[in-house]
Amino acid sequence: MSTIPLRYRIPWKKIVVTVLAIVFGLYLVLPFYWIVAMSLSYEPDVYTVPPHWIPSPATLDNYVSFVDPTGAQALVGSRAVAETPYALGNSMIVATATALLNLVLGVFAAYSFSRLRFRGSGVLLMVYLITRMVPGIAIIIPFYLLMRELDLLDTYWALILSYTSFALPVTIWVLKDFFRAVPRELEDAARVDRCGWFRTMWSVVLPISAPGLVAAAVFSFMTAWNEFMFALFLTSSTASKTMPVIAANFATDLNTQFTVMAASGVLAVLPPLVLVLIFQRLIVQGMAAGSVKG
Amino acid sequence: MQRQWSDTSRAYAMNAPAMAAILLLVAYPIGYSFWVSLHRDNLAQPALRRFIGLDNYLGLLSDPAFLTSLGVSALFVLLVVGVTVVLGLALALVLNETFLGRGVLRSLVLLPWAMPGVVNGLMWRTVFDAKTGALNGVLLQLGLIDSYQAFLASTTGAFVFTAMAQVWNTLPFAVILLLAGLTTIPNELYDAATVDRAGLLQRFREVTLPWLLHPLLIVLILETMNAFRAFDTIYVLTGGGPGDATATVALLTVQRVLTYTDVGLGSAYAWVITLITLVVSIAYVGLLYRRGSFEV
Repeated sequence: MSTIPLRYRIPWKKIVVTVLAIVFGLYLVLPFYWIVAMSLSYEPDVYTVPPHWIPSPATLDNYVSFVDPTGAQALVGSRAVAETPYALGNSMIVATATALLNLVLGVFAAYSFSRLRFRGSGVLLMVYLITRMVPGIAIIIPFYLLMRELDLLDTYWALILSYTSFALPVTIWVLKDFFRAVPRELEDAARVDRCGWFRTMWSVVLPISAPGLVAAAVFSFMTAWNEFMFALFLTSSTASKTMPVIAANFATDLNTQFTVMAASGVLAVLPPLVLVLIFQRLIVQGMAAGSVKG
Repeated sequence: MQRQWSDTSRAYAMNAPAMAAILLLVAYPIGYSFWVSLHRDNLAQPALRRFIGLDNYLGLLSDPAFLTSLGVSALFVLLVVGVTVVLGLALALVLNETFLGRGVLRSLVLLPWAMPGVVNGLMWRTVFDAKTGALNGVLLQLGLIDSYQAFLASTTGAFVFTAMAQVWNTLPFAVILLLAGLTTIPNELYDAATVDRAGLLQRFREVTLPWLLHPLLIVLILETMNAFRAFDTIYVLTGGGPGDATATVALLTVQRVLTYTDVGLGSAYAWVITLITLVVSIAYVGLLYRRGSFEV
């Protein structure tokens, strides 16, 4: 060991860790801070050099313009502005429906992997995992043709069905681990009390694995909320356009006002952000278990 | 009820709804996609639709746009995955230490993960913009540039900055998997190494890295797939331009179909993407098998 007494040593490691932590913290936060700051600025103010790092004067006009598109801020790109409230509603409906449908389909399959010993269970589990690996781009064309055939283009169903196919494998993988953690004795006790399978699930297994259900629901909600490519193909009007489609409309319109575009981006990120903040721990657990990202 | 059915038939009955959904929504489309790729098929000219066998695929070999996009995708994957793994490992190592504000930083890590790809693209546009961008502002105030630059106007600039935007979005995933791996390393190993007077670097090389090998491989594979299929951020940030500087194979496929309604050729593109992904998936599943994740 070193001859210098411990308390005189410069804590190099601590310094390096702290500096790195600050640098990473800024790296993670500053870009997001900037889009929020823009969304709170008046359009002419963002063209100053160097920029106002803190919006002054700050304004909510960009957000107000979504509900009142006749406002002065919305002269350009007014179509996307007017469509934004519909898109928020559509996104909310599609993402919620996807999460619910996923739970219903996923609970049965996941239970079978956690409690039943059966031939081919490993293969089946792998099939689900490989499904998750299929790139969206590989199925988007036939999916589009199929939905056209079924007359489902520009409806919620087209989106809900496609997002369910993305999220279901993750749901099954996450739920099976949570179900497995439910003590078998509790289930047996319920069965002795002559509870049928559904009754046992409803009053014993599901309540205990509530965190797993929440994690799976959050994952599928976010998958549906964030998805863009399928929405780009499958939607064409306010009947089903989702938030990412509208936000992309702002971005690809050369005349867009930066501040309104920034506001639409902030609106599109708020719901997933809130979910992540509330369910942090569960999400980290689920990510490590499922090893999957959409 | 419980005794009448064997476990196996019960299990398959329980998997039936999920299997049906996946057969209809994934397996069938993939097969149908291959069938479409064997045709000349443009939605704008339904009358000209006909079976042409493998001609679409043979045509790919001499299709400059396609070959270029494969190259762009390969470089994009290399750059994004390389930077993501290095930054992800550094950030995971930092988060594995105790320091004031660790909880806050752990929450912050999830911020990019919550960000939809489209919004990520929007956000980085506001940062990189030639007239209003924060990056220009920062560099100007630090005295590193004399006047505002159009970062996304040059081919190299657009490519590198798009890759960096993608890195920000996928970083949390790498960090969380690596951090999970780091927490499984027994403290005794570090203690033993310290007793053996191993320095910081030596401890990293001889304890941390070997233990992290498996999580690192998983991160490499999954991030490779993510980067290979990246679409949203690129579409919003550069739309594939300038020229074809950021036109990855995924972007080109979407253009073929949405702009030119050429579903036959588009399907051939898509199938090449599927095959490449399949190779990577097999590597991934093989790894998981070796770790024993499939023991049910």
